[in-house]
Amino acid sequence: MRQAGAYSGLLCGGVSGRTGPHSLPLARIKKIMKKSGEDVKMISGEAPIIFSKACELFIQELTRRSWIMAIQGKRRTLHKEDLASAVIATDIFDFLITLVSNSDSHETTSAIMEVETVDFS
Amino acid sequence: MEPMDIVGKAKEDASLPKATMTKIIKEMLPPDVRVARDAQDLLIECCVEFINLVSSESNEVCNKEERRTIAPEHVLKALGVLGFGEYIEEVYAAYEQHKLETMQDSLKGAKWSNRAEMTEEEALAEQQRMFAEARARMNGGAITSKQPEADQSLES
Repeated sequence: MRQAGAYSGLLCGGVSGRTGPHSLPLARIKKIMKKSGEDVKMISGEAPIIFSKACELFIQELTRRSWIMAIQGKRRTLHKEDLASAVIATDIFDFLITLVSNSDSHETTSAIMEVETVDFS
Repeated sequence: MEPMDIVGKAKEDASLPKATMTKIIKEMLPPDVRVARDAQDLLIECCVEFINLVSSESNEVCNKEERRTIAPEHVLKALGVLGFGEYIEEVYAAYEQHKLETMQDSLKGAKWSNRAEMTEEEALAEQQRMFAEARARMNGGAITSKQPEADQSLES
Protein backbone atom coordinates (compact mmCIF):
# COMPACT_ATOMS: atom_id res chain seq x y z
CA MET A 1 0.00 0.00 0.00
CA ARG A 2 1.57 3.23 -1.15
CA GLN A 3 1.71 5.98 1.44
CA ALA A 4 2.74 9.59 1.18
CA GLY A 5 6.38 9.50 0.02
CA ALA A 6 8.68 8.36 2.77
CA TYR A 7 10.68 11.55 2.64
CA SER A 8 7.85 14.01 2.43
CA GLY A 9 7.44 16.37 5.33
CA LEU A 10 4.73 14.12 6.75
CA LEU A 11 7.15 11.48 7.90
CA CYS A 12 10.33 13.31 8.81
CA GLY A 13 9.99 13.70 12.54
CA GLY A 14 8.43 16.81 13.94
CA VAL A 15 5.65 17.50 11.47
CA SER A 16 3.53 14.79 13.03
CA GLY A 17 3.62 16.84 16.19
CA ARG A 18 5.55 14.38 18.30
CA THR A 19 8.06 16.21 20.42
CA GLY A 20 9.27 13.13 22.27
CA PRO A 21 11.21 10.84 20.02
CA HIS A 22 13.53 12.74 17.73
CA SER A 23 13.71 11.30 14.27
CA LEU A 24 16.83 11.43 12.23
CA PRO A 25 16.18 12.54 8.65
CA LEU A 26 15.42 9.55 6.46
CA ALA A 27 16.87 11.01 3.28
CA ARG A 28 20.17 11.66 5.00
CA ILE A 29 20.26 8.15 6.38
CA LYS A 30 19.58 6.72 2.96
CA LYS A 31 22.42 8.80 1.54
CA ILE A 32 24.84 7.41 4.09
CA MET A 33 23.61 3.89 3.41
CA LYS A 34 24.25 4.30 -0.29
CA LYS A 35 27.80 5.43 0.37
CA SER A 36 28.53 2.62 2.77
CA GLY A 37 29.89 0.26 0.18
CA GLU A 38 30.74 -0.46 -3.43
CA ASP A 39 27.76 -2.55 -4.45
CA VAL A 40 24.92 -1.39 -2.30
CA LYS A 41 21.61 -2.73 -3.45
CA MET A 42 18.44 -0.74 -3.79
CA ILE A 43 17.12 0.37 -0.45
CA SER A 44 13.47 0.01 0.40
CA GLY A 45 11.72 3.12 1.60
CA GLU A 46 11.21 1.50 4.96
CA ALA A 47 14.79 0.51 5.73
CA PRO A 48 15.89 4.03 6.77
CA ILE A 49 13.05 4.05 9.28
CA ILE A 50 14.59 1.04 10.97
CA PHE A 51 17.96 2.81 10.95
CA SER A 52 16.53 5.93 12.47
CA LYS A 53 15.53 4.10 15.64
CA ALA A 54 18.60 1.89 15.68
CA CYS A 55 20.84 4.95 15.50
CA GLU A 56 18.96 6.55 18.33
CA LEU A 57 19.52 3.48 20.50
CA PHE A 58 23.15 3.33 19.47
CA ILE A 59 23.81 6.96 20.34
CA GLN A 60 22.03 6.50 23.65
CA GLU A 61 24.14 3.50 24.53
CA LEU A 62 27.42 5.10 23.50
CA THR A 63 26.52 8.27 25.37
CA ARG A 64 25.57 6.39 28.50
CA ARG A 65 28.74 4.31 28.51
CA SER A 66 30.88 7.38 27.86
CA TRP A 67 29.21 9.16 30.70
CA ILE A 68 30.07 6.30 33.03
CA MET A 69 33.69 6.82 32.04
CA ALA A 70 33.43 10.53 32.80
CA ILE A 71 32.01 9.73 36.22
CA GLN A 72 34.92 7.43 36.90
CA GLY A 73 37.16 10.35 36.07
CA LYS A 74 35.11 12.46 38.49
CA ARG A 75 34.06 14.86 35.76
CA ARG A 76 30.71 16.30 34.72
CA THR A 77 31.80 17.00 31.17
CA LEU A 78 32.07 14.30 28.54
CA HIS A 79 35.28 14.36 26.59
CA LYS A 80 36.55 12.46 23.57
CA GLU A 81 38.62 10.29 25.86
CA ASP A 82 35.45 9.08 27.55
CA LEU A 83 34.11 8.01 24.19
CA ALA A 84 37.36 6.22 23.45
CA SER A 85 37.29 4.45 26.80
CA ALA A 86 33.68 3.39 26.30
CA VAL A 87 34.45 2.03 22.86
CA ILE A 88 37.39 0.00 24.11
CA ALA A 89 35.38 -1.39 26.99
CA THR A 90 32.54 -2.60 24.77
CA ASP A 91 32.98 -5.53 22.40
CA ILE A 92 30.27 -4.58 19.97
CA PHE A 93 31.86 -1.15 19.56
CA ASP A 94 35.08 -2.64 18.26
CA PHE A 95 34.31 -1.28 14.81
CA LEU A 96 34.81 2.20 16.25
CA ILE A 97 38.27 1.69 17.69
CA THR A 98 40.09 3.10 14.68
CA LEU A 99 37.73 6.06 14.52
CA VAL A 100 38.17 7.06 18.15
CA SER A 101 41.92 6.56 18.15
CA ASN A 102 42.34 8.56 14.97
CA SER A 103 40.80 11.47 16.82
CA ASP A 104 44.22 12.99 16.80
CA SER A 105 44.61 14.05 20.40
CA HIS A 106 47.57 12.75 22.35
CA GLU A 107 45.40 12.34 25.44
CA THR A 108 43.15 9.95 23.56
CA THR A 109 46.04 7.71 22.66
CA SER A 110 47.33 7.55 26.20
CA ALA A 111 43.83 7.03 27.52
CA ILE A 112 43.55 4.02 25.26
CA MET A 113 46.79 2.66 26.58
CA GLU A 114 45.90 3.19 30.22
CA VAL A 115 42.32 2.05 30.39
CA GLU A 116 41.61 -1.47 31.53
CA THR A 117 38.75 -3.36 30.04
CA VAL A 118 35.61 -2.84 32.08
CA ASP A 119 32.99 -5.52 32.06
CA PHE A 120 29.52 -4.03 31.95
CA SER A 121 27.60 -7.28 31.77
CA MET B 1 31.90 1.59 -12.58
CA GLU B 2 32.58 5.22 -13.40
CA PRO B 3 36.11 6.45 -12.66
CA MET B 4 34.56 9.16 -10.54
CA ASP B 5 33.05 6.61 -8.20
CA ILE B 6 36.42 5.22 -7.27
CA VAL B 7 38.09 8.54 -6.56
CA GLY B 8 37.77 9.35 -2.84
CA LYS B 9 34.27 8.66 -1.63
CA ALA B 10 33.97 11.65 0.66
CA LYS B 11 32.09 10.11 3.53
CA GLU B 12 32.20 13.46 5.27
CA ASP B 13 29.57 14.66 2.82
CA ALA B 14 26.64 12.90 4.36
CA SER B 15 26.47 13.44 8.07
CA LEU B 16 23.65 13.68 10.58
CA PRO B 17 22.08 16.91 11.79
CA LYS B 18 23.88 18.18 14.84
CA ALA B 19 20.79 19.61 16.50
CA THR B 20 18.88 16.33 16.47
CA MET B 21 21.91 14.40 17.61
CA THR B 22 22.55 16.86 20.45
CA LYS B 23 18.98 16.43 21.66
CA ILE B 24 19.27 12.67 21.73
CA ILE B 25 22.59 12.88 23.56
CA LYS B 26 21.40 15.41 26.12
CA GLU B 27 18.27 13.42 26.90
CA MET B 28 20.47 10.58 28.04
CA LEU B 29 22.38 12.71 30.52
CA PRO B 30 21.51 14.58 33.70
CA PRO B 31 20.90 18.28 33.05
CA ASP B 32 24.17 19.45 34.55
CA VAL B 33 26.37 17.14 32.50
CA ARG B 34 27.97 18.80 29.52
CA VAL B 35 29.44 17.38 26.37
CA ALA B 36 32.64 18.81 24.94
CA ARG B 37 32.17 19.96 21.36
CA ASP B 38 34.74 17.56 19.94
CA ALA B 39 33.08 14.71 21.82
CA GLN B 40 29.76 15.65 20.19
CA ASP B 41 31.35 15.68 16.76
CA LEU B 42 32.95 12.33 17.43
CA LEU B 43 29.63 10.86 18.54
CA ILE B 44 28.11 11.92 15.23
CA GLU B 45 30.97 10.32 13.35
CA CYS B 46 30.48 7.13 15.34
CA CYS B 47 26.84 7.11 14.37
CA VAL B 48 27.67 7.48 10.70
CA GLU B 49 30.12 4.63 11.09
CA PHE B 50 27.38 2.59 12.73
CA ILE B 51 25.15 3.16 9.71
CA ASN B 52 27.99 2.12 7.43
CA LEU B 53 28.56 -1.04 9.41
CA VAL B 54 24.94 -2.09 9.59
CA SER B 55 24.33 -1.12 5.96
CA SER B 56 27.16 -3.32 4.77
CA GLU B 57 25.88 -6.22 6.78
CA SER B 58 22.31 -5.60 5.63
CA ASN B 59 23.59 -5.66 2.08
CA GLU B 60 25.21 -9.03 2.78
CA VAL B 61 22.06 -10.43 4.30
CA CYS B 62 20.08 -9.19 1.31
CA ASN B 63 22.57 -10.79 -1.08
CA LYS B 64 22.42 -14.13 0.68
CA GLU B 65 18.66 -14.14 0.41
CA GLU B 66 18.97 -13.26 -3.25
CA ARG B 67 16.71 -10.27 -2.94
CA ARG B 68 17.21 -7.09 -4.89
CA THR B 69 16.19 -4.55 -2.32
CA ILE B 70 17.39 -4.07 1.22
CA ALA B 71 14.27 -4.49 3.32
CA PRO B 72 13.64 -3.82 7.01
CA GLU B 73 14.01 -7.48 7.93
CA HIS B 74 17.50 -7.52 6.44
CA VAL B 75 18.49 -4.63 8.64
CA LEU B 76 17.01 -6.31 11.70
CA LYS B 77 18.91 -9.48 10.96
CA ALA B 78 22.09 -7.48 10.43
CA LEU B 79 21.66 -5.90 13.85
CA GLY B 80 21.49 -9.36 15.34
CA VAL B 81 24.55 -10.59 13.51
CA LEU B 82 26.60 -7.60 14.60
CA GLY B 83 25.80 -7.99 18.27
CA PHE B 84 23.08 -5.35 18.51
CA GLY B 85 20.35 -7.92 19.03
CA GLU B 86 19.13 -6.04 22.08
CA TYR B 87 17.97 -3.24 19.81
CA ILE B 88 15.81 -5.40 17.60
CA GLU B 89 12.65 -5.48 19.65
CA GLU B 90 12.53 -1.75 20.25
CA VAL B 91 13.48 -0.92 16.69
CA TYR B 92 10.77 -3.17 15.30
CA ALA B 93 8.16 -1.70 17.64
CA ALA B 94 9.10 1.81 16.53
CA TYR B 95 8.85 0.72 12.92
CA GLU B 96 5.38 -0.70 13.38
CA GLN B 97 4.32 2.39 15.28
CA HIS B 98 5.65 4.54 12.46
CA LYS B 99 3.66 2.60 9.89
CA LEU B 100 0.47 3.04 11.85
CA GLU B 101 1.04 6.76 12.27
CA THR B 102 1.85 7.07 8.61
CA MET B 103 -1.41 5.45 7.67
CA GLN B 104 -3.30 7.76 9.97
CA ASP B 105 -1.56 10.73 8.37
CA SER B 106 -2.34 9.56 4.87
CA LEU B 107 -5.96 8.97 5.85
CA LYS B 108 -6.13 12.55 7.05
CA GLY B 109 -4.50 13.75 3.88
CA ALA B 110 -6.90 11.80 1.70
CA LYS B 111 -8.28 15.02 0.29
CA TRP B 112 -5.02 15.44 -1.62
CA SER B 113 -5.80 12.42 -3.68
CA ASN B 114 -7.69 13.05 -6.91
CA ARG B 115 -9.18 9.63 -6.99
CA ALA B 116 -11.29 8.53 -4.04
CA GLU B 117 -9.55 5.24 -3.50
CA MET B 118 -11.43 4.18 -0.45
CA THR B 119 -14.52 5.23 1.37
CA GLU B 120 -13.97 6.19 4.95
CA GLU B 121 -15.39 2.85 6.07
CA GLU B 122 -13.00 0.97 3.85
CA ALA B 123 -10.13 3.06 5.13
CA LEU B 124 -11.07 2.37 8.74
CA ALA B 125 -11.38 -1.32 7.98
CA GLU B 126 -7.94 -1.22 6.40
CA GLN B 127 -6.59 0.51 9.48
CA GLN B 128 -8.04 -2.17 11.73
CA ARG B 129 -6.53 -4.83 9.54
CA MET B 130 -3.10 -3.27 9.80
CA PHE B 131 -3.39 -2.85 13.56
CA ALA B 132 -4.22 -6.55 13.80
CA GLU B 133 -1.36 -7.40 11.51
CA ALA B 134 1.04 -5.35 13.56
CA ARG B 135 -0.21 -6.88 16.78
CA ALA B 136 0.15 -10.34 15.35
CA ARG B 137 3.68 -9.61 14.23
CA MET B 138 4.68 -8.22 17.59
CA ASN B 139 3.17 -11.15 19.45
CA GLY B 140 4.54 -13.62 16.95
CA GLY B 141 7.96 -13.10 18.47
CA ALA B 142 10.88 -14.08 16.25
CA ILE B 143 11.18 -12.42 12.93
CA THR B 144 11.93 -15.00 10.29
CA SER B 145 14.67 -14.12 7.87
CA LYS B 146 12.97 -15.50 4.82
CA GLN B 147 9.89 -13.41 4.37
CA PRO B 148 8.92 -13.12 0.74
CA GLU B 149 6.94 -9.98 -0.07
CA ALA B 150 3.83 -12.01 -0.82
CA ASP B 151 3.51 -13.02 2.80
CA GLN B 152 3.32 -9.46 4.00
CA SER B 153 -0.43 -9.30 3.46
CA LEU B 154 -2.87 -11.29 5.52
CA GLU B 155 -4.90 -12.57 2.59
CA SER B 156 -4.47 -16.30 2.59
